[in-house]
Amino acid sequence: MSSHDVRDMLDLPGTAGPRPAKKQKIAAPKSTLKGLAREVQSLAGDNPISIVPEISSFKKRRLASRKPAARWVLKPFKNPARGDDLVLAHWRRKAEAPPAPVGEDGNSEQVEAQPEPEIENSTFAKFNVKVDIPEYTDLQYSLKLEGEGWTKDETDYLMGLVKDFDLRWPLIWDRYDYEPLASGENGDSLVSVTQPRSMEDLKVRYYFIADQMLQLHTPLKDMRKTEHDLHEIFEKFDPNQEALRKKFAETALNRTKEEAREEESLLLELKRILARSEKLSEERKELYARLEAPPSNGNIGIYTSSQGLQQLLQQLMTLNNSKKRRSLMGAENMSPASGPSGLQQQGSFDRRDSTMRESISGPSGPSRKGTLQGPPERRELTKEEEKMYGVSQPTEKLSGPSFRADRLNKPITNKSATMQAKITNVLGELGVPSRLIMPTAAVGQEWESLLGNIQKLLELKKNAEKLDGEIAIAMTLKAEREKRERAARGEPDPEDDDHDVKRESDREKSVSRSVRGGSVSRSARGGSTRKRSASVLSAMSDKSTKRQKK
Amino acid sequence: MAAQPMTSSMQPTDVYGGDEVSAIILDPGYSSVRAGFAGEDTPKSFVNSHYGVSSSGGSYVFGDDTIHNPLANLDIRNPMSKEGVVEDWDAATKLWEYAITSRLTSFKQADPRTNGLNDDMKDADIEMEGVEEGEKPLEEHPLLMTETAWNNPKLREKSIEVAMESWGCPAFWLARNSVLASFGAGKATALVVDVGASTTSVICIHDGLILKKSVQKSPLAGNWLSSQLRSLFSTTDPKVELVPHFMIASKTPVDAGASAQATYRKFEDTPSASFRALEEERVLTEFKESVVQVWQDHRGLKAGTEYARQQPGRVFEMPDGSNQLWGVERYNVAEGMWDSSSALPVPNESAPSKGQTIPEMVKASLAGVDIDIRAHVLQNIVVTGGGTLVSGFTDRLHNELTAMYPGARIKIQAAGLTAERRFGSWIGGSILGSLGTFHQMWISKKEYEEFGTSIIEKRCK
Ligand SMILES: Nc1ncnc2c1ncn2[C@@H]1O[C@H](COP(=O)(O)OP(=O)(O)OP(=O)(O)O)[C@@H](O)[C@H]1O
Ligand SMILES: [Mg+2]
Repeated sequence: MSSHDVRDMLDLPGTAGPRPAKKQKIAAPKSTLKGLAREVQSLAGDNPISIVPEISSFKKRRLASRKPAARWVLKPFKNPARGDDLVLAHWRRKAEAPPAPVGEDGNSEQVEAQPEPEIENSTFAKFNVKVDIPEYTDLQYSLKLEGEGWTKDETDYLMGLVKDFDLRWPLIWDRYDYEPLASGENGDSLVSVTQPRSMEDLKVRYYFIADQMLQLHTPLKDMRKTEHDLHEIFEKFDPNQEALRKKFAETALNRTKEEAREEESLLLELKRILARSEKLSEERKELYARLEAPPSNGNIGIYTSSQGLQQLLQQLMTLNNSKKRRSLMGAENMSPASGPSGLQQQGSFDRRDSTMRESISGPSGPSRKGTLQGPPERRELTKEEEKMYGVSQPTEKLSGPSFRADRLNKPITNKSATMQAKITNVLGELGVPSRLIMPTAAVGQEWESLLGNIQKLLELKKNAEKLDGEIAIAMTLKAEREKRERAARGEPDPEDDDHDVKRESDREKSVSRSVRGGSVSRSARGGSTRKRSASVLSAMSDKSTKRQKK
Repeated sequence: MAAQPMTSSMQPTDVYGGDEVSAIILDPGYSSVRAGFAGEDTPKSFVNSHYGVSSSGGSYVFGDDTIHNPLANLDIRNPMSKEGVVEDWDAATKLWEYAITSRLTSFKQADPRTNGLNDDMKDADIEMEGVEEGEKPLEEHPLLMTETAWNNPKLREKSIEVAMESWGCPAFWLARNSVLASFGAGKATALVVDVGASTTSVICIHDGLILKKSVQKSPLAGNWLSSQLRSLFSTTDPKVELVPHFMIASKTPVDAGASAQATYRKFEDTPSASFRALEEERVLTEFKESVVQVWQDHRGLKAGTEYARQQPGRVFEMPDGSNQLWGVERYNVAEGMWDSSSALPVPNESAPSKGQTIPEMVKASLAGVDIDIRAHVLQNIVVTGGGTLVSGFTDRLHNELTAMYPGARIKIQAAGLTAERRFGSWIGGSILGSLGTFHQMWISKKEYEEFGTSIIEKRCK
């Protein structure tokens, strides 16, 4: 806030007038006071510091360094590119004059311009280049150059235009306005009509002539590379294709708005697709790089001798031991990096069973592990991507080498033969093959849970049978006892009673079953005559059909 | 700062290929004559093409200083025809001579030894070689003159005759003004849209030469716009009186729409009708500059009248003090250039045809050139001429062309400076005339003497 503003607020008139002038004063020294520290300058606030800045020495210096003005002369010159000797004149700095900075406006006075006896040549003459146009004699024309629909006169006219317009075809075609000689004057007035010639017509004619003349000068076999190339260009010119191309270009130019927009959107789409496929291939490449193990560098030579094999065995044993110990210690202090990433520099393994062999290494392996650590940066795959590519990073450790397929079949194979038969029975009943067709990770999981369920089912079944048996024994014991009691009482043995008991036991059985089957029991009790399958799965389906029925 | 050798001490040829030979560029048009030295950025001499003839003595007066005097029996004429080509050679020669000598050669700018500016210098021994006062005005200067693309061969021959015989030029060249306009925009291949006073033209240029089949011209230019304004003024209610400045002795401010309160000057002999027309034209040009606008949408004003009505109007005060707000009408007057059916009817004149509108002319012009250069030319559209200064002109042109050729890339080159737009062809001539490579093009006096006037047809294509 300046003092002026304060005055303004207090409504004091006073020095309202000189304000702009003051402002200017402030601006001027501020920019020129160079040697002053900023702090010192700011002390003064809005008031200008009363140091008179050094006056700019612009004028003085200019006067001081005044040298004689540069001398310029009006120099005549010729241009050898011209046919005549037109002499034009331009201003040039006088040659002897010392280089002087002032007087560049060319108005300096001239002293004793020596009459130059010799007129210099323009430096621009060299830019006058002309296209070489083939020329022919009358004889050459009649021998070689006759063309259908062309008189010599018109050909001459064309060649003249080509020369005049330096082979610029749009111009040649534009200015092409041939008027045939008055008929009768010339014998061959066959082509009297002046049908408009297309640019292609003109080109064909010219190329034909140029080609013929080229061959006349240098026979085909003697042609040098450049000449031959030229000849080929002349030969290959196809007027129809040119016309077609132009037609196409014209339709392209005259597209409607909708077509243009459609094309634009199509192009955009294409771009998007290309970008996407690029991205995908990039990702795929990355994935391959991730999955591909680096080539083996461990030497297996040492294991070929029996001594070496012994050593290997020992190594495996110790590893096994240490692993057991480790697993006892718990998984949490095993760094995940020591797993798959650690083995990656070891390499040489098939990636499938890499987990099994992770710790096998050559004798130099463990020591090298440290130095070779630092695997190339790999992008972390997200959960979805892992799922998409079917990548998994198993963390559970298995002891010793084994087949993965074994792992799948283990739940079956490690059971007793009867048990195995039962499981396969259940599987057969479910329509699941006992050997998986496509054992992906997800399928494997399902498979395992299915097998677990089957096992549970079989166990329950066993229990149920055991209970049934016990109940039956208890029943017979009871019947026996009653029989004995009745016999003791001297009652006769009722046949049907026995029957009843049997039926009773049947019902008991179903009841006991219903305990397991849950709601199914009700349906069984409800008089449904359906034969129930023992499988949980069918019970489940029953349940669902029941629900639907309800 | 140490004095360094100036770059000007070097040959300018290294930089831009220039090599000036004090050539004079003369660009005559219907509304004005532009003349100046090659290598400069604006013409030094800018003279109104209208000249005065006193009906008694028959002597001519030229230039804005004299023709605007409200003298009795001063007849105002124009040497150019309605097509922008020379009609009255006698007057045209005098007019151009005036344009050149009044500002350029009689000033002796080219020769510092005699112009008196350096008299105080001590060096007295001046070489007086070659400066004898010739009676012909252009003996030391090659002359580069412009012409329209539709100039006929007779008139072209007449130009070289005037230059060589009457003015004694050592060298001469005749260039198409559209070609020069494209040079002025830095292009050798272009589509030039030139809206002058008398004619509007659309021409394709290929490699510095016009394509004759592409030449399109129409009278819908500055003068036609003036006639539209006149008919607008006469049809508005109440009628707007067009009273030029020289008639007004004094005026008092009035409210918008109120009738004028001015005292008019009394003349014993009222100035001629042609003089009044000239003065009215000045008012109209002012109106064009400040009020008239081109409706920008390519669908035309008819489709957007409602929207146009909502646009802010502009106030224009006539010389007599009456003023008024011009709303949608200010779009109306220029609309005929784009949509012939929107043109206001002008008494005694036939309505413009569809083919005379600018979009149609562009279309027709493009149809006359090879397909291969159409796309190229659409990317190099040069807009020049005073008529294109109507605000909104280039936007409309761009919108029209993008609607017409949606598949092509449209690029319009329009000089931002008013002077560059008006003097486009002169500037191109200034560039061409100062090029070192142009020396070999000139038709020299010797060649003229050898071949006669027909050389112009052979050389200037
Ligand atoms: N700012 C402006 N707005 C609108 N029109 C203008 C403006 N300035 C000039 N004009 C008009 O432009 C015309 C003059 O343009 P220009 O100088 O290009 O014509 P010219 O070259 O003399 O004529 P021609 O090319 O027809 O021989 C006049 O009709 C004038 O009214
Ligand atoms: Mg013009």
